[in-house]
Amino acid sequence: MSWSRRLATLLPRAVERDDGGTEPDPRFTFANERTFLAWSRTALALVVAGLGIVQLLPPFPGVPVGRHLLGLPLIALGAVLAVAAYVEWVRSQRALRRGDPLPNSVLPWILAATVTGIAIIAAIVLLISALR
Amino acid sequence: MTTPQGRAQSGDDPEERDPGLARERTSLAWTRTAISFAAVGGVVLKENVLTGLLVLAVAPVVWQLGRVSRSQAARTDLPTVGATRLFVIALTIVAVSLLCFLVAIFGRAAPLGLR
Repeated sequence: MSWSRRLATLLPRAVERDDGGTEPDPRFTFANERTFLAWSRTALALVVAGLGIVQLLPPFPGVPVGRHLLGLPLIALGAVLAVAAYVEWVRSQRALRRGDPLPNSVLPWILAATVTGIAIIAAIVLLISALR
Repeated sequence: MTTPQGRAQSGDDPEERDPGLARERTSLAWTRTAISFAAVGGVVLKENVLTGLLVLAVAPVVWQLGRVSRSQAARTDLPTVGATRLFVIALTIVAVSLLCFLVAIFGRAAPLGLR
């Protein structure tokens, strides 16, 4: 399947018209929706954390861009996480209709990589700031 | 009769007797998501008033989107797959993070800033 056609299958219209398999147990549909919403809130939490770091923290002495270095990637990854959560929801809903095993989720991986990366940057910024 | 894919008719599991609990949990999750949008709006408000108000205005809209799953409480048929609603939520978060990105860089001077 080409790249653009694969993207088209993610659009809400394509998902709502999907008639492969059978309608899953409504509880599964609700659970899938709640999972998406929980990831959305996680994405918003990343955004708010990034904004809080940039706007509310006092500047790091000696590292003028330190706060932006920590905050801006968090905000950007919030957007990435929201899109990934939607893609994940579509894939899970498809699998539920067809009775397939649920696809592996990349979302925990994105979140873990984000937190690890930001923690490393924070440690470096703090170290530079302390050594001055 | 209970099949993995079919709908449960009876059983000892309270979930099977009343799938409305799942609907209720989902509706609560929508409320929490709306509150999260309001929280983001509150933080933005501190730095950039107009952008903050814009993000705050999203919260009641999200809450209203969640009402769609609530309004089905009286219906016994299957919930519709709310792909459009979820798509809108994902796009809204992308837009909100773009606004927050601009506010983080430009602060008060961001496009919708109130001096």
